[in-house]
Amino acid sequence: MAPISTWNLFTVKQDLLKAHYECSSRGLRQSAKWSAEMSYALSIIQIPPEEDPHFTQENPDSMKEWDKYLLAKSYFDVQEYDRAAYFSQNCVSPKTHFLHLYSRYLSGEKKKLDDMVDTVVPGEKVRNEALKPLRAELQKVHLQKSLDGYLLYLYGVILKRLQLQKQAIEVLCEAVHKEPLHWGAWLELATLIIDREMLSTLSLPNHWIKEFFLAHAYLELQLNEEALDIYTRLQEVGFLASTYLKAQVSIAYHNMREVDQAIEGFQALQKVDPYRLDNTDIFSNLLYVKEMKVELSFLAHQCCETDKYRVQTCCVIGNFYSLRSQHEKAVLYFQRALRLNPNYLSAWTLMGHEYMEMKNTQAAIQSYRQAIEVNRRDYRAWYGLGQTYEMLKMPFYCLYYYRLAQQLRPNDSRMMVALGEAYEKLDKLQEAKKCYWKAHSVGDIEGMALIKLAKLYDKLGEEEQAAAAYSDYVRDVEIRRGIEREEQSSAFRFLAGYYKKHGRLEEAYENAQKCTEYSETREEAKALLREIAQLRSMQENGAMQVEDNGSVSRGPHLQFQANNTPLGRLSPMNLTFTP
Amino acid sequence: MEGERKELNVEEIPVSSLYDRDSTVPINLNKYRKAVKKYINKHHYHTALFWADKVVSLNNGDCQDIFWLAHCLFLTEQYHRAAYCIKSQNLHKVDLGCRYLAAKCHFAGKEYQEALATLDVTEANSIGPNTRNQEPLDKSVVMGDKNWESSIQLLKGQIHEAMDNRGLAAMCFREALHLDVYCYEAFHSLIHHQMLLKEEEKALMESLPFGKQCCEEESKIVRLLYETQLKKYDKPSEMIFPPQLESLENNLDIKTAQAERCYYNCDYQQCFKITSLVLNKDSFHSGCLPIHISCLMELQKSNDLFYFAHKLVDLYPEKAIAWFAVGCYYLLINKTDAARRYLSKATTLDRVFGPAWLVYGHSFAVENEHDQAMAAYFKASQLMKGCHLPLLYIGLEYGLTHNIRLAERFFNQALEIAPEDPFVLHELGVVAFQSQDYATAEKYFRDGLDKVENSSQTVLPEKWEALLNNLGHVCRKLRKYEEALEFHQQALVLSPQNPASFAAIGYVHSLTCHWTQAVEYFHKALGLQRDDTFSTTMLKNVIEHLMNEMVPCEGIPDELPIYEFPSEQNLALLDSSPIIPTEQSDSGFEIEMEATD
Repeated sequence: MAPISTWNLFTVKQDLLKAHYECSSRGLRQSAKWSAEMSYALSIIQIPPEEDPHFTQENPDSMKEWDKYLLAKSYFDVQEYDRAAYFSQNCVSPKTHFLHLYSRYLSGEKKKLDDMVDTVVPGEKVRNEALKPLRAELQKVHLQKSLDGYLLYLYGVILKRLQLQKQAIEVLCEAVHKEPLHWGAWLELATLIIDREMLSTLSLPNHWIKEFFLAHAYLELQLNEEALDIYTRLQEVGFLASTYLKAQVSIAYHNMREVDQAIEGFQALQKVDPYRLDNTDIFSNLLYVKEMKVELSFLAHQCCETDKYRVQTCCVIGNFYSLRSQHEKAVLYFQRALRLNPNYLSAWTLMGHEYMEMKNTQAAIQSYRQAIEVNRRDYRAWYGLGQTYEMLKMPFYCLYYYRLAQQLRPNDSRMMVALGEAYEKLDKLQEAKKCYWKAHSVGDIEGMALIKLAKLYDKLGEEEQAAAAYSDYVRDVEIRRGIEREEQSSAFRFLAGYYKKHGRLEEAYENAQKCTEYSETREEAKALLREIAQLRSMQENGAMQVEDNGSVSRGPHLQFQANNTPLGRLSPMNLTFTP
Repeated sequence: MEGERKELNVEEIPVSSLYDRDSTVPINLNKYRKAVKKYINKHHYHTALFWADKVVSLNNGDCQDIFWLAHCLFLTEQYHRAAYCIKSQNLHKVDLGCRYLAAKCHFAGKEYQEALATLDVTEANSIGPNTRNQEPLDKSVVMGDKNWESSIQLLKGQIHEAMDNRGLAAMCFREALHLDVYCYEAFHSLIHHQMLLKEEEKALMESLPFGKQCCEEESKIVRLLYETQLKKYDKPSEMIFPPQLESLENNLDIKTAQAERCYYNCDYQQCFKITSLVLNKDSFHSGCLPIHISCLMELQKSNDLFYFAHKLVDLYPEKAIAWFAVGCYYLLINKTDAARRYLSKATTLDRVFGPAWLVYGHSFAVENEHDQAMAAYFKASQLMKGCHLPLLYIGLEYGLTHNIRLAERFFNQALEIAPEDPFVLHELGVVAFQSQDYATAEKYFRDGLDKVENSSQTVLPEKWEALLNNLGHVCRKLRKYEEALEFHQQALVLSPQNPASFAAIGYVHSLTCHWTQAVEYFHKALGLQRDDTFSTTMLKNVIEHLMNEMVPCEGIPDELPIYEFPSEQNLALLDSSPIIPTEQSDSGFEIEMEATD
């Protein structure tokens, strides 16, 4: 494929116009919207009207069924899908036939949605009854190899809905080969890709749109640098005005935890396109993390004014309430979002978090599971599941989910720490040690890995290393000027004991002194100080006998876990909004 | 008068002209005789009866006239009078037509013994032309002799059937068909009342004297028409139509036969399409009704079935099929009591209506009332000797009550009737599986699958999901794990989102120690069916296995390096790593959490 810099934007624009025409005439509204947005971004380039498919004649084949098509399309547009399907049956022109099958699919989806209104709590399955017959029908035609790109897309979507992932991927690949301009097919394909390896083994058409897809897929796979790279190149070549690209770039920053940059991006986007609701939920996540209450409130009101009943709006409002600790209300809004679109991923995850806050583990599990069903790469949902099972005291499950979350975010220390804790619970201290070590080495976000590692060394009797880690920790806290009273006090206490044992009384004294600053170790420290003083005088007296008093401080050390409940320290919200 | 004469059919002209010559009565009796026939044609039976009676009186009881009088009485449903009218003159002893009519009257009056006696007794005194009255009659009979014979055999068959002498009945029907290959009623009774085994049906078709009774062209048509109605279920297959008869393809009977084939092929959508088409043209095409109803059942269109049953009951309250539809509707909406009530009504209206008995059995089977279900199926099996379905269901019920031996016996019987039916093969496989004879089970399943794959078009119907899954199970038992997975995956394609398939795949993975996949599939199964204890226990075990084997995380050495002390290197690392100031939010949360606690 030609590198991005050599693209002929004229043909790209032509393609976009064609894509818009084809998609909108088939009722594929979202894809049409995307094409139009991209085409608008290239508004410098003018296409002569005779080359614009919007102004050229329909081909005579479809003209034969033109009346039927118009009727069906009109019914489709007013959401009377059954009617549209009825009047377009037995049609042969590709557009009308597609409209027929698509209407049947959407009719099933709509009915499913209508049925869902009664079942608010997630878990109860409402199914799209149209899926199975449609699959059988499309399979027959597919075997005859007479599906066009759009029908293949529909077939792929149906397979995906029926959880036949393998087949869905094959069919969708075929679809993008036949009709590369249909953005929706690419998007569906992207949700099915599990890892980078899989992405590289897919056979994809060499088309300019593939770059957009790759960037999108990278972003989904948390390969943010790669995605950003493509997006910057795309912006350089001429898509600078594209709101889509701006949003994607901001999402990439969001994923990379470049919170400020991401917020900046979204704010800039708001200026250009004030009524845009797409991705505002991610924007609200960022504001939540930064606890920018005013901005979040403003955003919530603005979205609400634009469109109350959009999933994104509901998520923004949900976040807004969550930040104000009104979790019931937050759940209500996430539920509303899910009623509007049960496949809206972030609403499921966020609702799971809210349920966790409300200690409703069953509902939380259901929500997270739904989230995973929609997109199994959502590490926050996996992590949430881990936390729920931790609460339910099912350590193996908990371990499994943390591990999956960690695989999706290999360089996120929070996953590693959680994993380490789970291993510790199962008394697999060696594994736990590895996790903490890795967490520390990849860059600890919460500053918890080191102290945990130190404690573990201590527990394993690896005194030297424990001391090393503790002193690192103390230094680290000083640098960050953090205040973690309990952890610090235990660090000082250990160090005091350690130095005393090894006869380095100066250091021991220093640390014991620090211990007295904390109420919980004060008494102990005083005793220690007295001991040190005694030792000093003995030293001065020339009596060089060092008693092993290390065991004195051992006892309380082992209890450190008691005041370390998982929920107290690692709240689920905390994780969500600093991904 | 001239005009009327033309109206009469050719057959009757010589008869009446004979009378004309012999008659000494001055009154033109012929005119009245013609009037009788004319009024019969116009369905004015009472008028016809009036004139027929007068002709008999005027002509001093001529045999032919009495026949017509009895005929009129029969048409006005005065069966006793009709029979008496013939028998009092002893005409049934001398004339075949009269004998047939008298027997028919007894049959219609439900006096089966009488009817048989009428047919039998006279057979002894064979026809001897000695009275004046008989002479013309015999002549009239000569040409249609074969027809009377055939009709008599048919009637005999019907009487025997009504008296539950199904063996004798079948013989009579066969005889009737041999005497007259066009006698569809006999054929219909034989085939649609499931009296013959598949082999017997074949033999019947071979033995029928098409060649003698019709010209070559015709024999082809008759044979083809009959063949479309032969056994459709045991080996579902495509219907082949010769080009010269293409115009027949749109005949509703043929269409119905096609629909039935689709039904047995489990292609319910297609079947429904055809039956709807047929019923659009002929709203109550009797042959199509049972198939349409079954199809509505399969597709769970309860609302349509409700409306359809209502219409049927309004129009044909005396027909079994109407109440059958009502029963089916109630079964579909799980009101088994009501269903049974209406189904038993259907069976009383038409004792030989097998489907009603089968559905009656189903109504018990869905409630796990095995004994009662079996009783109903047994009844059905008596009625439908040539149908393997009752036997299959009996076997199923035995299987469900853990009588594997008996179940197997009934399946084998069913297999004798329908040696190529994939359903039977499947059940036999299940039985073998249950008695842990996995090799045999695999053989049966594979046979079944072969049959299905050969017959159905490109795509297997959803019904066969169970067969594929069972094949998977058996392969797993035989340690052919790869194949087992393959079959389960295929089953999943036929019937997606099936928790049992997911669990089975998970199980195979766990046996092959693919823990990750096993966990994933058990999860999927539990996601669809939360109270699945098998998956729950398996998942628990498998997760433990998985977590014991899994490395804690990627990219770390087996032996951790010694943590250096004092650690300049680590310090440097710490400085360079991005430290997000999360303390603030952290502490904020901790406070919040405490508050919510």
